[in-house]
Amino acid sequence: MKRSLVYFIILLLQVIRPHELDAQAKGSFEVTPLSSVTTNSDEFAPVVVQDGILFCSNRKTNPFTTHKNFEGIRLYDLFFAPFDADGKPGNAVKFSVGLGKNTNIGPAYLSPDGNTLWFTRNYLEGTKLKKNQPNNLGIFTARRRGSGWTDITPFRYNDPSYNLSYPFVSSDGKYLFFASDMPGTLGKYDIFMSENSNGEWSKPINLGNSVNSEDAEIHPFLHGSGRLYFTSDRNGGQGGLDIWYSVSSAGNWSKPVVLSDPINSESDDFAYYAVSSGQEGYFSSNRRNFSDDIYRFATTIIRWSNCDTLQKNSYCYEFVEEKAILGDTMGLKFKWEWDFGDGTRASGIRTDHCFPGPGVYDVSLDMINLITGGIEKRQASYELEIEDVEQPVINAPDKVTTGETFSLNAGDTYLPGMKIARYYWNFGDDTEAVGINVSKSFPLPGSYNIQLIVSSEPGAGGVIREVCVCRDIEVVSNGN
Amino acid sequence: MKRIGKKRYLQLLVILLLSGGPGFVLAQPVPGPDENIPHLITFAKDSKTSWGDDDFSQTFFFTVPKDFKDPFYIRIYDPETGGKTDELNNFWNTRMLYSVYGGKGCYTNPDAKGITPGGNYKSGTLLASRVFGMENKLDEQWYTFGPFNPADGEYYPKFSSNVFKIICDGLAGDDGNLYRYFLSRRPDTNIPIEGANAFTYEYTFRMWNNNDTSYVSHIYPFIDSGCVYIKQKNFDWDNDGDFIVVSTERKGQKLPLSNEDNWTDFNMPILDAEIGKSLDFRFYKRRGELVRNNNVVISVENQYGENLQFFSAPIGGVPVYRPRIKATKK
Repeated sequence: MKRSLVYFIILLLQVIRPHELDAQAKGSFEVTPLSSVTTNSDEFAPVVVQDGILFCSNRKTNPFTTHKNFEGIRLYDLFFAPFDADGKPGNAVKFSVGLGKNTNIGPAYLSPDGNTLWFTRNYLEGTKLKKNQPNNLGIFTARRRGSGWTDITPFRYNDPSYNLSYPFVSSDGKYLFFASDMPGTLGKYDIFMSENSNGEWSKPINLGNSVNSEDAEIHPFLHGSGRLYFTSDRNGGQGGLDIWYSVSSAGNWSKPVVLSDPINSESDDFAYYAVSSGQEGYFSSNRRNFSDDIYRFATTIIRWSNCDTLQKNSYCYEFVEEKAILGDTMGLKFKWEWDFGDGTRASGIRTDHCFPGPGVYDVSLDMINLITGGIEKRQASYELEIEDVEQPVINAPDKVTTGETFSLNAGDTYLPGMKIARYYWNFGDDTEAVGINVSKSFPLPGSYNIQLIVSSEPGAGGVIREVCVCRDIEVVSNGN
Repeated sequence: MKRIGKKRYLQLLVILLLSGGPGFVLAQPVPGPDENIPHLITFAKDSKTSWGDDDFSQTFFFTVPKDFKDPFYIRIYDPETGGKTDELNNFWNTRMLYSVYGGKGCYTNPDAKGITPGGNYKSGTLLASRVFGMENKLDEQWYTFGPFNPADGEYYPKFSSNVFKIICDGLAGDDGNLYRYFLSRRPDTNIPIEGANAFTYEYTFRMWNNNDTSYVSHIYPFIDSGCVYIKQKNFDWDNDGDFIVVSTERKGQKLPLSNEDNWTDFNMPILDAEIGKSLDFRFYKRRGELVRNNNVVISVENQYGENLQFFSAPIGGVPVYRPRIKATKK
């Protein structure tokens, strides 16, 4: 059984080939190796648990005893690296007490309450295994008891004839995603999903040929944003294993999008996990050497948490003659006639008027005696100064289609007194651009919140003023 | 809005009376210049009410500031009945009695404040009186009562003034007597007394003989503190044109007018901001067919049935409505 996992990993390593990059705009991420957990052995498949990260490794843990498979490769096990005071994973310790003996353990997923562990393991523990005896991978659950685990339970649809691995359960506990080569697989390995209904897991379904391909799809991870990240060696990536994502709409998974450099590389990049904000997380890669290591990524894209929503400039006003509106308006023998100071007039105690644009308008009110026809001119006047909203302005279509390149410009920005040095765009999909006029295309449908952050030239004391506005753009599928 | 208290109201009224608007120095003509009413009218007792007088009697009060100590005169324009400016019915047979009262009770007696000549409406001390018949020499001429000593009036602290009363009664006959008053410092010419005023509780007057809506008559009821609503009553208007009310808070609300020989009334809520000010009752003549020699009667009472005063010079000045614009961005 241990050989099965090794074979699977080798198989993945062998499918490295050059791919073309998707035309998506370049993302901005800073990627750093997680040195605190890095050894000469493999470390991969990190997931964030309550107070640290849980990952899989075949590192040597005992100077005297080493468990290997029949091919001489050390067995994989689960390790836990607690966060330090800075929130960075520290030195790792063995995690999987009670999950199995002499068998590959991991990757795994820990429920949010920390009491249920979903993990991958060979069906047979090593002591019972004979050479060349098949020993595929299955998915198991365990229940926390003290510092260990108990009640090891195989997933209902485990079958020793096939591999089921890389379990990930949605945050609501309703959906289990995993990878398998079980019947119904389109390629080498596919992503499957099972739904929990009244405590019973449904028969797994293949996510279909949008997500799955004739190659391998493994390491599913459903982010709170709705993106299903997974790893695949399919065409279209940068090389080897790459990280992709797809989103579900009306029950259909979108055409997957491959993550850009520097998360993906020409080496194997796999097992993506992002925290809830999506701004940071972990993945695995062998980009520095033959062994798999864990990398931390964090976006360098600027995104404000408190960005003002773009306000529409309104030149429309309601005018009310306050005193008249308070009294009895029945049977009045006077007519209220407004002169808006822009060449237009209107009648009524209450009226609406839209001015042509910013400016100073001398609004006055004449009163017409309906008995005599006499006009009492300018009985009240009001100097109305209309200004555009002081804000950066995002000019862009409200709706575009996937793959459509469209223009955005900030030319109508109205920030009097501010010498603007930079227009920075955050497109809401981990991509960015700089300039007063930019272009963009979205590969996936959805609603994207665009932020425009305008920075001033340094003022007195070198102070730079920044103002942010945002608006949504709806991206609909182009049908292809 | 907070209502002003009684004490505060008295202070306000004194200030208004003594230092009020531009109308005060010309307050002594009755009707007042701001009223634009051609004449008062009183019919003799044998007339029909349908001719425009419900009770054949009209009472006016003059207020003389307490600091004014000089003799003064009450002058009547065209006191006789006959000639050019009166209303003839068959032949002139009318005798009118003008009587001037001062002293205690001339104003404060409740009967004096009524709108009908009943009870002791001739309360107080009779200071002067005269009966006028058809006297050609007084046609369109002034007749002068007085001199009067201001101290002979009834001092009324609320007004800080001595109050005198003049009643015109249609003693006999059936003609209409058109006339005017003037409170004067001089017997032979009309010299006003600064700060003096005149008022009545029921106004009987002649509308303009013109079918042009630019002829607008006004009367100015004063809205006392505690007034929640008023009930205006008008008589025998012959549906002659439009009656609207204007105040600092309302512009041109139409009120109903009576028709031939009948009364109509209408209740109108009073706004807080109208308290302590005058309303402007405007009467526009009807356009088109002329209603000739239209004589009318009007009075106003508050929610307690207390009659309100019509001052010849409106307290606080002629109320002017100033619209207030509020602009709200949509």
